[in-house]
Amino acid sequence: MITLTHFLLVSACIFCIGLYAVLAKRNAIMILVGIELMINAAILNFVAFSRYDKTNYGGQIFALFAIVLAAAAVAVGLAIILNVYRQFKTINPQNIHELKD
Amino acid sequence: MLPFFGFLMQAVLGKKSISGNIGLATIILSVCVSFFAVFLPVWNGAPLTERMHWFTVGGKPFYVGVMLNNLTVLMQLIVGIIALPVHIYSRAYMRNDPGIHRYWMFLSFFCFAMLGLTISTSLLQLYVFWELVGFASYLLIGFWFTKESAVQANKKAFIINRIGDIGFLIGIALVYTHCGTVDLGELFGPQGVFLPAVNADGSWLTLAGLAFFLGAMAKSAQFPLHVWLPDAMEGPTSVSSLIHAATMVAAGVFLLCTIFPLFNETVLLTIAIIGCITALSAAIFALGQYDIKKILAFSTISQLGFMMVGVGIGSWDTAMFHLATHAFFKCLLFLAAGAVIHEMAHFKATHQLDIDPQDLRNMGGLRRYLPTTFVCMTIASLALAGFPLTTGYLSKDSIVVQAFEWGFHLGGIYLLIPTTLAAVSLLTAFYIGRLLFKTFFGKFKFAEKLQKGELHDAPIAMTGPMIFLAACCLFPACSFHPFDYHQSWLLGEFHVKTAFAAVAEMHSAVPLVLTLGALAAWGVGWRWYVAKRYPLSKNNRWVRFATRQGYFNEFYQLLFVKGTEQLSRGVYAFDHYVVDGLTRTFSAATRRLSVAAHWFDRHMVDGLVNLIAGTTYYVGHLVRHVQNGQLQSYLGFALTVVVLGILYLIIK
Repeated sequence: MITLTHFLLVSACIFCIGLYAVLAKRNAIMILVGIELMINAAILNFVAFSRYDKTNYGGQIFALFAIVLAAAAVAVGLAIILNVYRQFKTINPQNIHELKD
Repeated sequence: MLPFFGFLMQAVLGKKSISGNIGLATIILSVCVSFFAVFLPVWNGAPLTERMHWFTVGGKPFYVGVMLNNLTVLMQLIVGIIALPVHIYSRAYMRNDPGIHRYWMFLSFFCFAMLGLTISTSLLQLYVFWELVGFASYLLIGFWFTKESAVQANKKAFIINRIGDIGFLIGIALVYTHCGTVDLGELFGPQGVFLPAVNADGSWLTLAGLAFFLGAMAKSAQFPLHVWLPDAMEGPTSVSSLIHAATMVAAGVFLLCTIFPLFNETVLLTIAIIGCITALSAAIFALGQYDIKKILAFSTISQLGFMMVGVGIGSWDTAMFHLATHAFFKCLLFLAAGAVIHEMAHFKATHQLDIDPQDLRNMGGLRRYLPTTFVCMTIASLALAGFPLTTGYLSKDSIVVQAFEWGFHLGGIYLLIPTTLAAVSLLTAFYIGRLLFKTFFGKFKFAEKLQKGELHDAPIAMTGPMIFLAACCLFPACSFHPFDYHQSWLLGEFHVKTAFAAVAEMHSAVPLVLTLGALAAWGVGWRWYVAKRYPLSKNNRWVRFATRQGYFNEFYQLLFVKGTEQLSRGVYAFDHYVVDGLTRTFSAATRRLSVAAHWFDRHMVDGLVNLIAGTTYYVGHLVRHVQNGQLQSYLGFALTVVVLGILYLIIK
């Protein structure tokens, strides 16, 4: 039977994959995908833990909220990437040094 | 005041005013004004004073103004009348001089200063004009400023006059301190008595009198300060004549006459003694000179000595009288000498001779070539020597007679002064006779080179003034009685009361003796210089003494110039070794100190600061690699820290 532990393991795996994508990818869109994976790992945790709240399904409601927010965040992120591309003619984060002192 | 406008106009016109017409016009106008508008109404009338407020010092008002009495109008008239022929003469004499516009400007300025001096109403105003006269004479003596000797001469004149000016200034200060006023009218009152002196302590009065006399000594070239006057011959001859006759040297005598009531007996005696020494020494020096102008210069000094004695014995009216007559014949002597020099200079230029045109030894026999000049010069020489029928006879004898009376009154040693004066009169006759004989008699030295008509009389613009002045040298100009000076209209109006009784015999004896003596002196001169029986060798000690002017210049050179040089050398050494040494020690010590301070600063203070700064920089250098602008590495760091935090939580 599938227990909470399996859920948490899958979630941790997804989170780590997302984290790897964020840290290692040389493409801003792939970083955005990584962020999305990490959000989804968190949402999976919400849903998994919602079995302890059978009356209100608060976790699942919050998951829905989080999905909407993630979608909005992706929109914003894509807009930022578009602007960055316009500015620097690249979306490779290693070629963008503007945060340096 | 008119010459002042002349001066201004010529200063404005600059080089264009070369003819001197403006100066001439202003001097003619001022002579007319001073004769008709000033002299005639005031002479014998009440003194006039016009003054206006000048400035106020601590509640004491000072005035400038015009004071007219017998003395001042007479002096003014003399200045004007002497200046007029000099101006006319200068037109011819100074023609074609490149600096002629300056000449007219200075000449007008000079006349203005002297005229202002004569009519000053207060001592302070007198002092201002006194300085202006000194300055104008400085300009004129150094007129040919490209000549080194002229520059030296005007410097000398100026410096010696400064010495006298200090005396004058001290005198003014003393009078002002004790009387509270410098106004001549207030000081002496209408009667000519020194008002504050009646109940005053006499010692400061002596001091003030001596101080004023020092001023007059420098201006009138009295004995120790006479050295500037012979050197002043470097100026143009017409200027010399003006300086000697009416303007510059007369100022000293005029000053003494103006403030005569101020002098007490000590001062008067000093004046008489100094005057006597001056008269004697200058006459002796005049014997040894070869420069025609220098002889005249020394004779001026000698005659000024006479005037000083006149003041010193208390009869300043005779001094003024002699000043007036001396002005005419000395002016004439200079103008005639100028004419001779003019011709000699032409002769020298034509034949390209290397001679001094002023040297007596190069002249001789000129009476055949310059008859008018000869006649004029003879008349002036007779007047200077004091022969009868001339004005010089009247005025000089008046001084000598008065001096004898004064000597008899006091008796004893005081008789030395009139005796000396009488001897000086004879010397005067001798040296002027020498000048006349050497110039006009005998044989012309360069006669073989002379072409016919080459040496001739000066143009009418030069001889005219000379003839006019020669006329003024004859006795009717002063008195209708040729032998008795008491008849003179000049003397009668001063009303001087002398302290001594008249001695009737002297009035006939002195002139007689002097005239005979003068005749004898001329006779000796004729024998020596014309008949060529000269008894003295050139290298006689006394002759050399006289030629070198008594070694006065050398003495002053030794005493003052060398002294100053020595002093300045000493001061330089002191400066160099003591003051500079001290400074150098200080600077060396300061340098060492600053080196030490610099080391301390660099290694201690800076070291500390640099250490802190260096540490911070190093740490920052280590850390700055983190801040590389890479978004992903930032995140990686964040993750590392979070993982470390989690590990910490787990291990704990």
